[in-house]
Amino acid sequence: MGREVSESCVDSLLTEIVSTYCNGFYANKPELAARRIEAIGYQVGHQLSERYTMERPRFSDHLEAIKFICKDFWSELFKKQIDNLKTNHRGTFVLQDNRFRWLARMSVDPSSENSSSPQDPSTMAENKAAQAVGMHLYFPCGIIRGALSNLGIPCAVSADISNLPACDRNNITKRNFDPCLVAPLTAHCELS
Amino acid sequence: MIVCVAVVGHQSFTEADDALKLHHIVHCSLDVVDERVNNPKKSGPLNESFLGLLCPPENYKVYGYLTNTKVKFILVTTDLDVRDADMRNFFRRFHSAYVDAVSNPFHVPAKKITSRTFAERVSTIVKSLG
Repeated sequence: MGREVSESCVDSLLTEIVSTYCNGFYANKPELAARRIEAIGYQVGHQLSERYTMERPRFSDHLEAIKFICKDFWSELFKKQIDNLKTNHRGTFVLQDNRFRWLARMSVDPSSENSSSPQDPSTMAENKAAQAVGMHLYFPCGIIRGALSNLGIPCAVSADISNLPACDRNNITKRNFDPCLVAPLTAHCELS
Repeated sequence: MIVCVAVVGHQSFTEADDALKLHHIVHCSLDVVDERVNNPKKSGPLNESFLGLLCPPENYKVYGYLTNTKVKFILVTTDLDVRDADMRNFFRRFHSAYVDAVSNPFHVPAKKITSRTFAERVSTIVKSLG
């Protein structure tokens, strides 16, 4: 029987991991914090892939394993499948999720916008937001890398967020009652 | 009677019952596993985890199971009339015990499973098959 976990708990846990590592343990070394968070994700993905592949036939090739990640694994974790999968047939896969669940309830702190430097406040805020969001993506990236490695596909996974809507000042005011980021997430898997 | 159950991970042995002989049998059967997996014709088109009877050396029967994550389970039994369905059932339960054991956050991947709960669960499963 499957056990369930409250989604808000997972959200809070992720936020807390990021803030502990970024502001606590490695306050001055964001690189190191990112690596540590990724490593935690790696172990989680490693273990989850063991469980989620239990009742299914073995994968005959890499593409099948990637498809499993896109469909079943993704829906177990993020409650939806990915929206688009692209590949260059040379070992790079691009997974696109138009509404990435783990960022859906995240919004940018408006005070950081007010305090940013006067010359170009919007770009500053945008950078800051992108950086903060990026930190929260190391964990899911680690999960995907851990799962793929355990399925016999060593790879590198990176993620980027294109056009962060909430970075836009106008959007924030409009979204006052609904501070959701509709975050299109793109994950790149580079097989090694 | 089931005399040996082994979990073989990516690197080497993780768990097996005593006796050098059984180690030897398990080692030999690993080659059979590789052979089956690399010749899809022999293992059937389904790519099932359950690999069936691997080899009958001397007075034993050896069964194998390969997970999606390339972990092999090998079972050696002295029973000569074993039903495939029983073996399937055994491996299914064994697999879920294994998954629960490796999902423990304190378990280090690719290291020997030290969990006492896992050992207990395995002996319960083994006993239930007689």
